[in-house]
Amino acid sequence: MVDTTTIRTRTAEPLRVPRYAGWIGKTVGSGLYRHTIGRLADSRPVRLALLAGVPLFWIAALHIGPIFQMGRISFMADYPPSPDGGSAYTLANYKLFFSDQLYFVPFLRSLVFAAVVTLSTLVVVYPVAYYVAKIVQPKNRVRALLLLLIPFWAGELIRTFSVIMLLANRGAVNVALRELGFIDRPIPMLYTSFSLSFGVIYLLALYMLLPLYSAIEKIPTQLVHAAADLGASPFQRFRRVILPLSKDGIVSGCSLVYLTSVGVFAAPLLLGGPNTVIFPEVIATLFHSSNDKWPEGAAFSMLLLAVSLTTVGLFMRVIGGRSVRLM
Amino acid sequence: MRPYFADLPKTALGAAYWLFAVYLLLPLALMTAMSFKDASFIAFPITDWTLNWYAQVLQDKQFIEASLYSIGIALATTAAATVIGVWIALLVTTEGIWGKAIIFALACLPAVVPGLINAISMRIFIRTVDIPTGTTAIILSHSVHAVPFVVIMVLTRLRSMPANLVDAARDLGADPFVAFLRVTIPYLMPALLGGMIFCVLTSIDDFVRTFFLGGYKPTLPMLIFAKVQGGMSPEINAMATIVLIVTAAVGLYAERLTRRSRN
Repeated sequence: MVDTTTIRTRTAEPLRVPRYAGWIGKTVGSGLYRHTIGRLADSRPVRLALLAGVPLFWIAALHIGPIFQMGRISFMADYPPSPDGGSAYTLANYKLFFSDQLYFVPFLRSLVFAAVVTLSTLVVVYPVAYYVAKIVQPKNRVRALLLLLIPFWAGELIRTFSVIMLLANRGAVNVALRELGFIDRPIPMLYTSFSLSFGVIYLLALYMLLPLYSAIEKIPTQLVHAAADLGASPFQRFRRVILPLSKDGIVSGCSLVYLTSVGVFAAPLLLGGPNTVIFPEVIATLFHSSNDKWPEGAAFSMLLLAVSLTTVGLFMRVIGGRSVRLM
Repeated sequence: MRPYFADLPKTALGAAYWLFAVYLLLPLALMTAMSFKDASFIAFPITDWTLNWYAQVLQDKQFIEASLYSIGIALATTAAATVIGVWIALLVTTEGIWGKAIIFALACLPAVVPGLINAISMRIFIRTVDIPTGTTAIILSHSVHAVPFVVIMVLTRLRSMPANLVDAARDLGADPFVAFLRVTIPYLMPALLGGMIFCVLTSIDDFVRTFFLGGYKPTLPMLIFAKVQGGMSPEINAMATIVLIVTAAVGLYAERLTRRSRN
């Protein structure tokens, strides 16, 4: 039973200064706190300002600022601007891109490469995601997923390096083939577009796996059974029920993989060769050469950013996903 | 006949899963195996085995310095990204603020910009505001990269929080700061821990941002990159295996934490 007398005495005195335990209690109880921060907390505008100030500053300065500045520099003739002044804004940096094959070809190669990698990843990963989400027993699902997540934590460089172990001239594949007597001399697989795509798919497969898995897991199994009862063949069930319902996962997985593979940087340096120069390498050399080519580099970066975001945007519009889920 | 055909798609999918698992794990297994090779060059087959490479790596001053430097950067990044990420998430969930969708979209912007462009725009930016390349620049760019993930993880957790918890604290006389410290933060804790470990791992792993923003002192990925590009010996394998085991263990632990926080 509740003791009514204590309730009455408690409600009788208003809780103006509550008693807290621990260091928070000591701080809040002190007069210094009550007259400074405690006072601030009482007014809604001040509270809002405290809440919004730092986040808005951070977003404006560090999320938008760098892209904005990159855009500005991409229109400059010189950077830093020459001291004799003059409004040195120009379109020359963008014109340069369209006038020189040296830039144009790697750019196209980058876009095609990213598209091929994205499609192959989708085809490879979809059955795996479906298997884990629908066929593995629910109690084993986490374990089945974690097994695939281990390499994800290994890091970009280490995974790229481990691909070299597999594909090098004296790597595992070539040695195994020679031992089995299929070949006399090693097949050169490293530093080709094959090793580059193999490596990048290896790096990015998990970005595809997680969105696909969570989309497929949400499909009610009864729908698939119902389709089967109504006479749909396995292929029809896949084509008419499962595929449309996993659309969200496909869209976000493909967007993630595409955007990452457009900007992939370490893998081409380690796995690519002279015939596989893609656009990020071209941009990087403009920033690392001793002679200043920052405006050109900024312009090329803007182009790559604009084209890749537009591609993903169009893709999302056409397929009809609602939004990119980042995780 | 029929049962076999009925099971055929299942068997095929199972085979696809296991092939995929082998595809993901085989290169790492080969890399680990090579770290035990008793020869000064990387090539299969492995005939003699040794632990010397591990002894050498653990005495390698460069490796230890780079590891400590990377860990330091990761911790600073995590602190900054967690504070800012929670702050943004709170702002986005506050009632009666205009433009929340835009704020959220802009908060997530660094996550959709390709990594290389992120790094280059940051390189241009730090020159504009006169920050030299080096530790500060690396920490800034890593934090910008990590913030969207913290925001999303915290938001997921915040949305499952009963709104009346904070109201109850306020009714009992807690001011907004106290309510935040005593109610919101403890509720967020599992998501926060998961997010923080995620920040640490992405920062330690990051190559492209450090490549453009780093000074002369190498981080762990820079060191590994330099060693891979230079002459290759199984020492790199031993180094990479140590890093792999540590990060995978931490990653699996984080995975467990976030999974628990969702349930």
